[in-house]
Amino acid sequence: MTGMQLWYADFCDTFYRCFIKEDRYKLLVSGVGVTIKVSLLAVIIGIFIGMLIAMCNLSKRKLPRAFGGIYTDVIRGTPSVTQLMIIYFVIFATVNLDKWIIAAIAFGVNSGAYVSEIIRGGILSVDHGQTEAGRSLGLNAFQTMTRIVIPQAVKNIFPALCNEFIVLIKETAIVGYVGLMDIQKAGDFIKSATFKAFMPLIGTGVIYYVLIKILTLALRQIEKHLRKSDVR
Amino acid sequence: MIKVKNLHKKFNDLVVLNGIDEHITQGEVVVIIGPSGSGKSTFLRCLNLLEDVTEGEIYVDDELINTPKANINVIRQKMGMVFQQFNLFPHLTIMNNITLAPVLLKKMTKEEALRKGQELLARVNLAEKADAYPAQLSGGQKQRVAIARALAMNPEIMLFDEPTSALDPEMVGEVLDVMKDLAKSGMTMVIVTHEMGFAREVASRVLFIDQGVVMESGTPEEVFNHPQNERTKLFLSKVL
Repeated sequence: MTGMQLWYADFCDTFYRCFIKEDRYKLLVSGVGVTIKVSLLAVIIGIFIGMLIAMCNLSKRKLPRAFGGIYTDVIRGTPSVTQLMIIYFVIFATVNLDKWIIAAIAFGVNSGAYVSEIIRGGILSVDHGQTEAGRSLGLNAFQTMTRIVIPQAVKNIFPALCNEFIVLIKETAIVGYVGLMDIQKAGDFIKSATFKAFMPLIGTGVIYYVLIKILTLALRQIEKHLRKSDVR
Repeated sequence: MIKVKNLHKKFNDLVVLNGIDEHITQGEVVVIIGPSGSGKSTFLRCLNLLEDVTEGEIYVDDELINTPKANINVIRQKMGMVFQQFNLFPHLTIMNNITLAPVLLKKMTKEEALRKGQELLARVNLAEKADAYPAQLSGGQKQRVAIARALAMNPEIMLFDEPTSALDPEMVGEVLDVMKDLAKSGMTMVIVTHEMGFAREVASRVLFIDQGVVMESGTPEEVFNHPQNERTKLFLSKVL
């Protein structure tokens, strides 16, 4: 047999042992499910917290501003692994909630700090004349914010927000620390079981890449839709 | 219709309006002229409280508006405002720009607002632009839409803050024509402008504001041809 053929035979054998034997691919498939579940809920929590904190930071009153400032400061100043473990082992230690929900809360809390800065920047990027036009028509501050300022801000911040979601998905690769079997942990598990490093780890990478590629393409379509009022 | 008593406005230590008393009656077209930084735009913006007032009183239909008790959102519905920079809502079509406020504030049903919108767009000669977005319009067209948007609320009074100052010269005429029509229809208007020809032709009264006070007030004939105040004379000698 030539070298090429040997290499190919070895590749097939390793592939079989890592992914097919003992239904190991199922670990990865359920890992994808966990990653998506945690990310999706975390994104929703992140946007919600982000909006709240952004409102705090934009408030004219001192107390909300101080709260928003401290929140952003603390979250940005500590590693997300530390935050995840504190939330899982300290704050939710005695609460009976599904592991993945607690993890999603942790990532949402983390993401919220970054999202709040994106939202704040987006709202400030909308010309003040827009607010004046809305108010001069008799709209109240809330109506002006929700009907005029935020729709324009969303368009401005959408790319930055997408970027934050992608970062968030990859960040969830640390949920193994609290015992969740996501994509990363599944790959790691296969590595320990087969004593093969290359195949499971590259496989893990490929799965993340494909997942994020699909998401990126979908988000780009949404962005195109949002930009339709820019046509000249 | 609008009564202003002893109006003062300060930005920190800078005094912009230094005691203005003015009475604008129904059907009047008041044109405010004056040098840059004289406070004329600030005066106009105080009338619907886009600027908060430092001292003094503003009454609209005999209701004091610069008090926490007044519902400014309801009062603003009586006062349409047109801005120098148009401030159309870029994320909405032209028709939605016009119908947003009347529908949201429940002044009209969706159908009524659409009918009114069509009527107003026809009035400003832009009927075919209903489904366009603001980015597709020229400056003059944008400003005409902005006027239609303000009119959609059926205001009792229209405020214009240098409506033609951001326009290319060839587009000034189309906007002024719309404003002339509006004046002829009997709308009460307060207009800050640098268009002296327009002021002379359309104004029922001209106010010359400088250094935060009304220096001179009268018919266009009185102010432009027989100014009494030295500062008015100096200003007019520069711009006419």
